[in-house]
Amino acid sequence: MRTSGGGAPGIEVAGLSKRFGSVRAVNDLSFSVAPGRITGFLGPNGAGKTTTLRILLGLVDASSGTATIGGRRYRKIPRPLHEVGALLESTSFHPARRARDHLRMVARAGRIDRARVGAVLEVVGLGVVAKRRVGGFSMGMRQRLGLATALLGDPGVLILDEPANGLDPQGIAWLRELLRYLANEGRTVLVSSHLLAEMAQTIDDVVIISEGQLRASGPLSTLTRQVRSSVRVRTPDADRLTELLRPRFPAIRRLAAELIAVDGATPEQIGPVLAEHRNLIHELVTESTDLESVFLSLTGPGRGGIAADPTPPGTAPGPAGPAVVAPPVPATGWTESPPP
Amino acid sequence: MRLVRAELFKLRTTPGPWVVLGVTLLLTGLGVLRPFLFPTTPHHLQFLAPTSTFRLRELVGSGLTVGAEYMAAILGILCVTGEFRHKVITTTLLATPRRWRLVVAKSVASIVWSVYYCVASLAMVAALGIPLLVSQGGSTMALWHQVRPVVPGLFGSFALIALYGVGFGTLVKNQIAAVVAVLAISFIIEPIVIGVSPEVGRWLPAAAAAAVSGDILGKGIRAYLLSWWLGAIVLAAWGVVPVVVGYFTTFSRDVT
Repeated sequence: MRTSGGGAPGIEVAGLSKRFGSVRAVNDLSFSVAPGRITGFLGPNGAGKTTTLRILLGLVDASSGTATIGGRRYRKIPRPLHEVGALLESTSFHPARRARDHLRMVARAGRIDRARVGAVLEVVGLGVVAKRRVGGFSMGMRQRLGLATALLGDPGVLILDEPANGLDPQGIAWLRELLRYLANEGRTVLVSSHLLAEMAQTIDDVVIISEGQLRASGPLSTLTRQVRSSVRVRTPDADRLTELLRPRFPAIRRLAAELIAVDGATPEQIGPVLAEHRNLIHELVTESTDLESVFLSLTGPGRGGIAADPTPPGTAPGPAGPAVVAPPVPATGWTESPPP
Repeated sequence: MRLVRAELFKLRTTPGPWVVLGVTLLLTGLGVLRPFLFPTTPHHLQFLAPTSTFRLRELVGSGLTVGAEYMAAILGILCVTGEFRHKVITTTLLATPRRWRLVVAKSVASIVWSVYYCVASLAMVAALGIPLLVSQGGSTMALWHQVRPVVPGLFGSFALIALYGVGFGTLVKNQIAAVVAVLAISFIIEPIVIGVSPEVGRWLPAAAAAAVSGDILGKGIRAYLLSWWLGAIVLAAWGVVPVVVGYFTTFSRDVT
């Protein structure tokens, strides 16, 4: 589909900070995004993902630092839609405007050939509803129209904020394929999300932030290797077992009433403890390290992807529950920031 | 120019400007018919007197007294506030990151639509007024001689009132609040001020517009009106100042 030639530019964020009043939404954030790969931009709600993307797109002014695309700030790009396509979470449409007219409007403002309108509508599967008013669209259809808007200028860089929101499972599978296809064409694809399961299957690289700060960035495969393994134990007496194990394994996560995960442990280490204290267990399995556990371990106590307000500066995040303690992650091969 | 065309496209693909155009036609029509329906209205008695020579100024004025001109202000408000109401502003700014160009494009597009409204109004005046005039034995020749002195001022006041609406919209981003406020100011507050103190009132937008259009609105302060060019400057200032202030406030803020 990519019609314009040349290598896609990368994204560079350096020392970026943004304050909203007394709240530090983004704090000295630095990372880079390479062309030809899908980069997941992950963090709990309120971590500063959307703010970072909005600064990158010239919608929000940074308090300090820079965010550039191909070495230029977004506002300095002469024909931005030809270089950068964006889908933002709150991107909205006039309900009375037809889908096709929405795209035509963007095409006019962005100096894009009108023929692209029909092409992108077909790409996102909205060709048959092109003449319908957006007000009658489902959430998933709006998301597709947003993607069509992002693709309209055939840009080398795609910045997508929560693109999987509102898509059904087939839609998410379709989105994954589309993103892969776009990255394989050499485009730079930056995708923010809090839906970890969807992301894990899609992304090559990750940038993980929490409380506005970088927690980790690099290839996903390297990251998951470096987070220590975890053992999942199902037991009716989870509280007692947690107490028994905590002195040796401080990183214990309570997954459910009768289910705990002991990070950094092996079944061989836990088995003797169970036998010694005659604990009844229903399940004991080694958890393969996945994106979720990496994410949880990096985004801090009690911040496992559920609504978490940004912590004001100077407030140390205390343990929010009995279960989650972040183990340290080895820094080898990783861009990693010190904990707050 | 490209941005102006994009803004014009935006306006014509939403129902708002068309609804306002309909209201403009309706108000103009009602205004022309009003002296016919209520012949006791003193200001318009001369229309229906078979002996009088009808003048376009009065004919147009009778059409616009009901406030058709202010529909241009509402159009200007829609052009700006529609972006914020439906959060289309994000998409707009991604295509046009340099915001001052967007503000200029919106102002120009609103003025272009004000021309449509003015043409529509005049067409309505002609369609209803001329037959009415002829039926009452009036002279259409006298009417044509009035075109040159009356019509340019009318277009001017429509255009400047549209700009006034754009300025209003950039300061009051809430669409409903902006429309209600501009109508309240134009139809309630300004007439009161003009009535109490014409020396002050003549500097307000409605009186400035009356100066530009040759008091066809019959505000009743003919003696106090500014000259047409001073009226144009004052009315333009009522539009440009809020647009500039709005650029540095509304349009320079972070879009979150």
